[in-house]
Amino acid sequence: MISINHISGAWLALALSAGPAAAGQTPQAPDPVPAAKKSSTGPLSGYMDFHVNKISGEDTVIDFHRFVLLFSHSFTPRIRFVGELELEHAFVEGAEPSGELELEQAYLDFLIHRRFNIRAGMLLMPVGIINERHEPPVYNGVERPLVDTVIIPTTWFETGAGVHGEFSGGWRYRAYVTAPLNALEFSADEGIREGRQKGSRSRAPSASVTGRVEYLGVPDLTIGASFWNGRGHAFGTLLETGVRVLEADARFQRDRLELRGQIARVAIPDASELNDTLLVESGVDPNIAERLFGVYGEAAYRILARGSPRDLVAFVRYEFADTQHRMPAGWLPLEEFQRNQWVFGATYFPEPDIAVKVDYVWLRNKSSIIKAPASFNVGLGWWF
Amino acid sequence: MPARYRSTRAASVVLLVALVATLSAQAPADRRVVKIRAERFSFTPSEISMVVGEEIEIRLKSDDTSHGFKVVGQDVDVTIPKRGQGEVAVPFKPAKAGRYEFECSHLCGAGHSFMRGVIVVKERKE
Repeated sequence: MISINHISGAWLALALSAGPAAAGQTPQAPDPVPAAKKSSTGPLSGYMDFHVNKISGEDTVIDFHRFVLLFSHSFTPRIRFVGELELEHAFVEGAEPSGELELEQAYLDFLIHRRFNIRAGMLLMPVGIINERHEPPVYNGVERPLVDTVIIPTTWFETGAGVHGEFSGGWRYRAYVTAPLNALEFSADEGIREGRQKGSRSRAPSASVTGRVEYLGVPDLTIGASFWNGRGHAFGTLLETGVRVLEADARFQRDRLELRGQIARVAIPDASELNDTLLVESGVDPNIAERLFGVYGEAAYRILARGSPRDLVAFVRYEFADTQHRMPAGWLPLEEFQRNQWVFGATYFPEPDIAVKVDYVWLRNKSSIIKAPASFNVGLGWWF
Repeated sequence: MPARYRSTRAASVVLLVALVATLSAQAPADRRVVKIRAERFSFTPSEISMVVGEEIEIRLKSDDTSHGFKVVGQDVDVTIPKRGQGEVAVPFKPAKAGRYEFECSHLCGAGHSFMRGVIVVKERKE
């Protein structure tokens, strides 16, 4: 038995040590890696997102929040189609509360040069972290950040055309011209969110411009800044207001630590006229603010070693989202919409494309009358 | 043949195969290794420089889902395995100077089309 062990041990030692030495390589010589396999992707992918939300004082809600399919097709190596079709809340019956069927992306890319490419169709606005990176495994928390809901209205998509590209040193850009917003739907609670026209017979008496610059030149760090500049229209061109969105964000990932933060501001300089007109028209004061402001920071720690297929991530996020940040003269802020929240949670990845999420959201506001509810959430999201 | 010798021989054969596989998977000593990290929706680094006649080994590893690595106009289109499932090596030795653009060939999410990069091949200086 001893001899057997010696033989096997000798072979094992030889096998383990023979690589670089036998190949005459230096100590810096590469490790062996598997041979490349031919790519065999299909034209269909997607993600799903299933939530259980328990808001204090309310019944538990179980919601199949998102069922999303992505499609791609290459007409030529330089002309490509990408589409993203989303069913929200599982069921559509005309009115939005029952669900939505949305065409979030459907564009043609004309790939001309790394630095300059043309895109046209239904586009994702390149604003913020989440709007273009919204697959469940890529963000922590069952629900998207509050700032990415009421300040930046994700998922924000609109018809338009524009250019995108990348330069040496890790610089990237995209810039699009798109349809404007519908100011009739602006609100005190959610700012410009319901003003998205979503490419559905979008009225476009004026054009909007949006863009983003990203820098990926520092290892483990991505920083970005974006804007949206256009108008919100109501009643054709009878009433319009300028709308400007400015945003900056950063993501950092090293070893087990992940940090991300985002700051965003929305300016509606003609909010006073908008409030006056909508009050006369509907009899309800919409109390739209001149300025909305939001910021969040998140720290996450990979409890299992980074690089493993299974992973457990613990995170904490603080958010401040104020949709009544600065009111026009004569209007007072509704304090229940001056919100902040702490989110504590964890994401378990049984494999990289499946995320099991749990979190506790401690939402607060400035109102002494209307209390903000806390919530406990469980989610299951996957990508394929 | 006694069972213990049969098992010894079997173990030796397995290890010999492992040794041969190990040696065959090694990059030649003169091949430069370039490591690229893939994640939604970028390759890092996304620009590689080399000279005509040089052979590089591009090693690709994902931080999230599986991606593809396709060099446009070349016979290179491989799968990058998901996080934690290893890396893939692609030898690359272009015959001509030029810009060889590469891209993700797996539909990997909303920003899939932004996953691109370039290999810049220059003439060798005399």
